[in-house]
Amino acid sequence: MSEALLSIDDLHVAFSTRRGMVEAVRGVTLTVEKGEMLGLVGESGSGKSVTGFATTRLLDAAGRVTGGKILFRGQDVTKLRGDDLRQLQGAAMSMIFQNPRAALNPIRAIGLQIADAILTHKRISKEAARGEALDLLRAVQIREPEARMNAYPHELSGGMCQRVMIAIAISCNPALLIADEPTTGLDVTTQKVVMDLLADIAAARGMATILITHDLGLAARYCRRIAVMERGRIVEEASPRSLFSAPQHAYTRRLVAASPTATSRIEDLVTEEDRERYATVVSKPRAELVHGTPPLLEVRKLAKRFDQGSAAVADFSMTMAGGESVGLVGESGSGKSTTSRMICRLIDPSEGDIVFDGHSIGYVASRDFHRSRLRKDIQMVFQDPNESLNPRFTAFDCIAHPLLRLGGMRAGEALRERVEECAVRVGLPLDLLPRFPHQLSGGQKARVGIARAIACRPRLLVLDEPTAALDVSVQAVVLQLLDRLRRENDIALLFVSHDLNVVRMLCDRTIVLRNGGIVEQGESRALFDNPKTDYTRKLVEAIPHIETGEMLAAAL
Amino acid sequence: MLSYILRRIVATLPVMAIVALFVFSLLYIAPGDPAVVIAGDQASPEDVERIRQSLGLDRPFLVQFGGWVWRILHGDLGTSIFTNLPVSAMIGQRLGPTLSLMIVTLLLTIVVAVPLGVVAAWKAGSLIDRVIMGFAVFGFSLPVFVVGYILAYIFALELEWLPVQGYTPLTQGFWPWLENLILPAIALGCVYIALVARITRAAMLEVLQQDYIRTARAKGLGQGGILFIHALKNAAVPIVTVIGIGIALLIGGAVVTESVFAIPGLGRLTIDAILRRDYPVIQGIVLLFSFVYVLVNLMIDVIYTLVDPRIRY
Repeated sequence: MSEALLSIDDLHVAFSTRRGMVEAVRGVTLTVEKGEMLGLVGESGSGKSVTGFATTRLLDAAGRVTGGKILFRGQDVTKLRGDDLRQLQGAAMSMIFQNPRAALNPIRAIGLQIADAILTHKRISKEAARGEALDLLRAVQIREPEARMNAYPHELSGGMCQRVMIAIAISCNPALLIADEPTTGLDVTTQKVVMDLLADIAAARGMATILITHDLGLAARYCRRIAVMERGRIVEEASPRSLFSAPQHAYTRRLVAASPTATSRIEDLVTEEDRERYATVVSKPRAELVHGTPPLLEVRKLAKRFDQGSAAVADFSMTMAGGESVGLVGESGSGKSTTSRMICRLIDPSEGDIVFDGHSIGYVASRDFHRSRLRKDIQMVFQDPNESLNPRFTAFDCIAHPLLRLGGMRAGEALRERVEECAVRVGLPLDLLPRFPHQLSGGQKARVGIARAIACRPRLLVLDEPTAALDVSVQAVVLQLLDRLRRENDIALLFVSHDLNVVRMLCDRTIVLRNGGIVEQGESRALFDNPKTDYTRKLVEAIPHIETGEMLAAAL
Repeated sequence: MLSYILRRIVATLPVMAIVALFVFSLLYIAPGDPAVVIAGDQASPEDVERIRQSLGLDRPFLVQFGGWVWRILHGDLGTSIFTNLPVSAMIGQRLGPTLSLMIVTLLLTIVVAVPLGVVAAWKAGSLIDRVIMGFAVFGFSLPVFVVGYILAYIFALELEWLPVQGYTPLTQGFWPWLENLILPAIALGCVYIALVARITRAAMLEVLQQDYIRTARAKGLGQGGILFIHALKNAAVPIVTVIGIGIALLIGGAVVTESVFAIPGLGRLTIDAILRRDYPVIQGIVLLFSFVYVLVNLMIDVIYTLVDPRIRY
C-alpha cells in the first residue's frame, strides 16, 4: 500500500472543564488518500469537528491531544512547534468553517484577508499578493472580483462569504483541505452551488478533502467513502451505497432512518423498534373540518417596506383553518421570516390586514399587541434554541413566564402543575426544570422553547426554522412532537423553513416565496412531486436527498 | 465623512445650549447672595445694592441670560469678581499646564494600558495575567493624592531624579516641561491605566473567541499579526469609548493632582474660584470643560467610523 496523505492513528483528545477532563475523541483511526474526498459524519458532540481541529492544530486552549498520532506526509502533526507548525497551517493543510460570515474578520476588506494568507507563506510583494487574491476570487467564481476586493464581509451574502473562505483556504495550494460543515446555514440552492464549486476545485487541484457534516445526504452526494462517528469513535466506514442499503452499526441505522428522504414520512424517521408508539397517534383520524367554518387566520394583501429600498414582502394573502399546518418556504431574503413576524405581530405591516378568529389585528401596533387577549393565542417558536432562551432563566422560569404574563396565573401550586404538564407534553424530564439553558442539550432547549410556546394553550403556533440548529435525530423527535401537538391539541402550525424535506413531511399545504411574493402554493406532496414553476423545481432539485430507492436498485 | 462631521457639530449645539443654561443658573441655584459675598463683611446695604446694580443682578433672569450668551458668543466670558481681570484671560493663562498634564497622561495611558490589556488577554489565566490584573485593582483603589505623595517622596525627595513640584512651559524646552509632568501624569493616570487595561483585556478576550481569529490561525498567521491586526482593531470600539469617558475622569483628577504638585493650572483656579464664590470664573471653567467633553465625544464617534466599516451614519 502506498503511503496515505494523512493517517490518524488511535487519536485521543480531551478537554479540561470545570468538572475535570472530558474525552471528546476516543481512539479515532482514519486515513485519507491523495486527492480523495472523505465524509466524516456524526451528530453534535460526536467529536468529528474536534478531530478536524486536532489535525489542523486549531484546538481551543482547553483541548489537548492525549494520545495517538496524526501523520501528515509521514510527519507527526501533534509534535510540531513554532515555525514548522506555521508552515503547515494554511499552506500544506487548510480549513474552512461553518458560518462563513463569522469566520471572516468583519472590519478587514476581503481582498486583504486573502492576501494575508498568501503573504504569510510566500515571499512576494503586496501588489503581487493582491494580484493572486484577485485571481483566487475569479477561481471561486465571484462576480465583479475587482470591485469585491475592497468589500467587507457584511456586504456579501453567506454563500459569497463561504467562497471567500474557500479562496483563502486554497490560496497556497494545500494538499489537504478540511471543510467543517461548509454549507450548514446556507440556502439549499446556495449549498449546492458552493459544494459543487468545492468539489470541482478539489478535483482540479488534486486536493484531498475531509468533509465534516451532520448531513448524511450531503456526504453521500459528494464522497466516495464515509466514516460515521459517535461519541468520539468511528463506528462504521463504508461507501455511501453500502452505508444506506446495509448499515451495520445500530447508530448508523438510527442516523440513516432519521435523515429525511424524498419519500419519507414523519413516522419513518425513527427505526422500526421505536415506531410503534407514534404510529397509534398518526393512525387516529382527524376531525373533519365542518364546511363553512370561518378560517382561524386570514391574511389579506400584506406588505412590508423597510425604511428604504423595495418591499420585503408584497401582496401576501393566505388563509389557515384551525389545526392546519402550512409551510412557508423560500431562500434567505425571500421574506418568509418577515411575513411570519408580521403574523405573530412582532413587527408592523406597511399595508394589508391580518384577521385572527374574526378579529382584525393587523392594525394593532406590534408594541401594544402584548396587551391584546389574542396574544396568548398566537405564539412563536424561534430558530435558535440557544439564543432565544434567557440564560438567567431556568427551564421552569422560561415556561412559567408566559403563564404569569398572559395566562393570569400567580406563582403557586397551580402554576407548578401547569408548567409540569407542559414539560411532560413536550417530553422534557421534570428533573431538568430547575436547570439553566447552558446545562441543557440542544434538543432539550428546543423542547423548552416549544413548552413555553404552548404553555398558554395557543391556537396558532408560528415556527421560524425550529429545527435548523438541531441534529437529525433530534429533529425527527421534534417534528413528531409538533405533529402530535397539532393532531391532539388542534394547534395550527405556520412553519417557516428552508428545509423542504421537513416542510413536505409536516405541512398539509406549502407556500413558496421569492423576493417577497408568492410564487406557488398548494398541497405539499403535489407541489413537491410536481412543481409548476422553475423556481420551485430548482429548490426541490437542490435538496441533497439520500437516493435510497435508486441506490437499492443499483445494489441489487 | 465631512458632511457627517458637520451634521454632528450642528447636533451638539442644543447640548451646548442646555449646558450654558445650566451653568448660568448656577448663580441662582447656589446658596448665598453673590452681591453680599463680593461686598465683604464690612459693607453697608448701600454698597451691596450698588454692586448688585453694576453686575446687573437686579434685572430679570432671561434678560441676564440673553446678555450673558451674547457676550460669550463674542468671546467675552465676563470679569472676575475677585481679581477684576477678564475671565478669558485668566483661563488662558492656566490652560497650558492643565492641557499639558492631560495630554501627557492620555498618551501615557494608551501606551501603557492597551499593551498590558492585550498581553493579559493573550495570556489569560496565566501568572502574567494575574500580575497585570492585580496591578489594575491596586491602581484602581489608591486615591490620586496618595499615589502623588508617595511618588513625590520616592522619586523627588529620596532619589532626586525628578523635581518635587512646579511647572515649566513647553516654550522653555521639551525636557524641562516633561520632567515636571512625569510624576503628576503617573499619579493621575493610575486609575485611568487600570480602567483601560481592564477594558482592553475584556474586549480582547471577547474578540479572541470569535471565529475569525480561528481563521487567522488557520491561515498560519503569527501571534503578533493575530493580536494586533485582527483582534485589537475589532476590540477597539469599547476601548476608545472608555478612553473618551476617561477624559472626564481626568478633568476631575487634574484638580487634585494640580494641588499635590503645585501646578498652576485650571484645577487650582477652579478651587480658588469656588472658595471665593467667583461665579464668572466658575461659569467660564465649567463651560470650557463641557465644551471639551462634547468635542471629545464627537472625536470618538468619528473614530468609530474609521475603525469599523459597518458603522455608518
